Amino acid sequence: MNAVASSREQVLGRIRAALRGRQNSAATAGQAAEAYAGLARDYTMRGELTVRACQERFVERLREYDAEVTECAPEELGSTIAALLAASGRRIFVAPHGLPAEWLAAGFEWKIDQDLPAEEIEKADGVVTACFCGVADSGTIVLHHSAKEGRRVITLLPDWHLCIVRASEVVETLPEYFDRCQVSGIRGQKIGNEGTREQGNEQTGRPPGLVTWISGPSATADIEMTRIKGVHGPRFLNVVLVKDGEQGPGNRE
Amino acid sequence: MRASLFITCYNDTLFPETGRAVVRLLERLGVEVEFRAGQTCCGQMHANTGFRREAFCQAKRLVRLYADAEAVVIPSSSCVAMIRDQYPGLFEELGDEGLRKDFAALVPRVNELSEFLVDKLSVEDVGAYFPHRVTYHASCHGLRGLHLGERPFRLLRKVRGLELAPLANLERCCGFGGTFSVKNGEVSSAMLTVKLEDVLATKAEFCTALDNSCLMHLGGGMHRQYAGMKTIHMAQILASTVKEPAEVAG
Amino acid sequence: MSAAAEQTVLDRAELDPAKAPPFPVAALPVLRNVQLRKNVAHAIDVIQAKRARLVAEKTDWQALRAAAAAIKDHVLENLGAYLEQFEERCTAAGGTVHWAADAADARRIILEILREEKADEVIKIKTMTSAEIQLNPFLEAAGVRTYETDLAEIILQLGEGEPSHIVVPALHVNRSQVREIFARRMGIENLSDEPKALTAAARNYLRQKFLLVPTAISGANFLIAETGGVVVVESEGNGRMCLTLPRTMITLAGIEKVLPRFQDLEVMLQLLARSATGERMNPYTSLWTGVTRGDGPQKFHVVLLDNGRSSILARKKERQTLRCIRCAACMNTCPVYRQTGGHAYGSVYPGPIGAILTPQLEQLRHAQSLPFASSLCGACYEVCPVKINIPEILIDLRAQVTDQERKTAGKFFDPMYVAMRSANLIFSRAWLFHAAQKMGRIGSRLFTRKDGWMHSLPSVGAKWTLTRDLRGLPRQTFHEWWAARERGAK
Repeated sequence: MNAVASSREQVLGRIRAALRGRQNSAATAGQAAEAYAGLARDYTMRGELTVRACQERFVERLREYDAEVTECAPEELGSTIAALLAASGRRIFVAPHGLPAEWLAAGFEWKIDQDLPAEEIEKADGVVTACFCGVADSGTIVLHHSAKEGRRVITLLPDWHLCIVRASEVVETLPEYFDRCQVSGIRGQKIGNEGTREQGNEQTGRPPGLVTWISGPSATADIEMTRIKGVHGPRFLNVVLVKDGEQGPGNRE
Repeated sequence: MRASLFITCYNDTLFPETGRAVVRLLERLGVEVEFRAGQTCCGQMHANTGFRREAFCQAKRLVRLYADAEAVVIPSSSCVAMIRDQYPGLFEELGDEGLRKDFAALVPRVNELSEFLVDKLSVEDVGAYFPHRVTYHASCHGLRGLHLGERPFRLLRKVRGLELAPLANLERCCGFGGTFSVKNGEVSSAMLTVKLEDVLATKAEFCTALDNSCLMHLGGGMHRQYAGMKTIHMAQILASTVKEPAEVAG
Repeated sequence: MSAAAEQTVLDRAELDPAKAPPFPVAALPVLRNVQLRKNVAHAIDVIQAKRARLVAEKTDWQALRAAAAAIKDHVLENLGAYLEQFEERCTAAGGTVHWAADAADARRIILEILREEKADEVIKIKTMTSAEIQLNPFLEAAGVRTYETDLAEIILQLGEGEPSHIVVPALHVNRSQVREIFARRMGIENLSDEPKALTAAARNYLRQKFLLVPTAISGANFLIAETGGVVVVESEGNGRMCLTLPRTMITLAGIEKVLPRFQDLEVMLQLLARSATGERMNPYTSLWTGVTRGDGPQKFHVVLLDNGRSSILARKKERQTLRCIRCAACMNTCPVYRQTGGHAYGSVYPGPIGAILTPQLEQLRHAQSLPFASSLCGACYEVCPVKINIPEILIDLRAQVTDQERKTAGKFFDPMYVAMRSANLIFSRAWLFHAAQKMGRIGSRLFTRKDGWMHSLPSVGAKWTLTRDLRGLPRQTFHEWWAARERGAK
């Protein structure tokens, strides 16, 4: 393994030589922290939409890329899910092992994911999950793959994905999503979110280890720039927006 | 007000009528024009072709020549861009502190023609008369280097009798690019063809610009194609009056 | 279709800078390819229009660009430290980090990993970095089958063609060509040329590969030093397939891909999709950190690639080249690229970024014609999300190439070099300049026709008069007119 060690030293040595004499250069990332903290960030952090307008934008952006969106009150969630599953004409669904039991509508075959092999997941017609957060600006759904969002494979193989998003989980801008991850740092402040929701990988203050940002069904424009939906990954994305009327951090109006 | 005209090497040799028009125009506006006999070239051609050493020489000469000029006026945005964008780096590399200071003192006094008229003389109506349909081509150096913006349009709109036809894809490069036009002659020609589609579609009699470099390329192509449109530097339009109409070369 | 139907032959482009002809030569066949020029213009018009719309609605666009440039510059100034931090965190999270000094090193490392895994096939997510190190031919020669899974890359792999754009690599291929390639290589009868049908064919073709091939190779859009995380940005879902289903994952990433913190993605992700595909966000972005038990590959390797990047770090003006996030906005806006497409650049990185990156990665031993493949219009700089001043670098690279070339005996008598040295001499004294103008006036009469224009010039001038006339030199220069006026006034 000598060759490997010397490649590392070669590369780091070249970098060091290239940066020699630059006073900004730090020996460790910790030393670079001060310079990092001083970097100018004049971009928009917080959105300006009202709560209602923000949710409307989220729905609008989702529909722009042909996701089906249904809004409902919290008490209607179970029945809304059941109705959507029925309307889909599909029968076999995968669910993450932490999905709330009330969401497992009767009359369908449920495969609860406890390390299901891929071939089993392939037999399913669809999947139902929660999510970590929605970003209205780009119509993005963010999964941190917690117990009620499920392993990455279950939102990948089935052709139909139903994602439950609470209105209180919707933020307007991408920087607000990063705030919501409760990673203190760039903006110095810690954002308190006294909820009972799970955070990332069950650890507040640390960035999540697994994230999937979904902003539409898969698509390609590789053939003559003609946009075709649904290459790999679910071709059908359905969202239920639960109007739970709460706001987390960044509550406006 | 006194202005020192830097005619540029290629205008001096190929487009003297542009220089004559600048003089006529500025004198009409009450500016005393001087012309320093020692001038040759700003060094752009050499700098952009990789002959940096040679560009240094020319840059030094220019700064020394105009060190005490009240204002320098240049009817060529690419030369002004050379001075503003590349001279700082050249002088820093040369490491001559005196020259660098002289340059820093000079640069606020260097003006492209439309900048001089609009910003320094605060004039948009220069009393011009040019009864023709004209389209304006925005050279890349003027557009992105100098951010000339609306200045040329504001000047052209005040020219009596002039009908301004907008050019589609205004921001697209004509393909001249200095020595690019010969080092990559075929690609330059392809870009020229695409640009001429838009120019000819305006059905104008004249295509104008603030740079004879682009006009040489566009006009050369149109002449080759018997296209029935001419090019003319904007100075000549602005200098044109009822009594003294513009010199329009064949 | 009859059995005698013509087989689609995609343009054989040479994308190895060591072998590719110089740009002016490589461009010639492309300029004559009507289909390709049409495809390229259409593709970039579509993306440009979408991008322009989204940028106009983003009121903090310039602030984002400034922040991105600042973050990247900061990383580059502290590159060693951040790479070491990434290595430490990724390792702690269960990944294995390898360092590759150059392309050969990287290929060797990857093959070694594959041998250890006893892998004789790999599925790949599109990564220009693997094309940069010429990985596929190397692996094939070593007995490892490579399967591209990105739609454009499948088209090129099955059609034996080369990428011509870094985001939409097959934009030069039209639908009937794709149909023929797929029908023949996938063995499908009665395949229509509708993009929908072609895409469905690719989906079916790949499904089994995703489920069965246990080893995958990816690139990375970003590496997160703070966490050891890796980010892949995509549209089709083949990325998610490759980084979720296999047992072993190998990520090849240029050393300049590292970002300090997870939260820096808030800047980069807002810029990337808008610049690359004209979307607010691309369909799928994935982040994973080392190995997560029970979810995804249980063996994860990162190969950090230098291959000339560290030499770019050393030059003050050029360092900004490494800010590049591979969005391709520069080539979408480039008026030169519009006419020539990517293959003329003789490099896996074409367009404005290719014109500065490739010669530098090659340390100016190859691709010396690329810095000259530009009219210096500056459109690329305007759209670059990380504010790389490409024209400034092009000019500096031209100086470096010229300094290198002028030492060689062959170039001393090259007409362009002779002309430049003569011009400099002439410009050094006003009287020399004036004398040269007089001589030029006399000499040019030889070429000036009755209409007062020159239609055909020799030597360097021949490229001008290829398609343009040049007006004959006027009888009096401006300075002569001025001098006469002064005399008359006295």
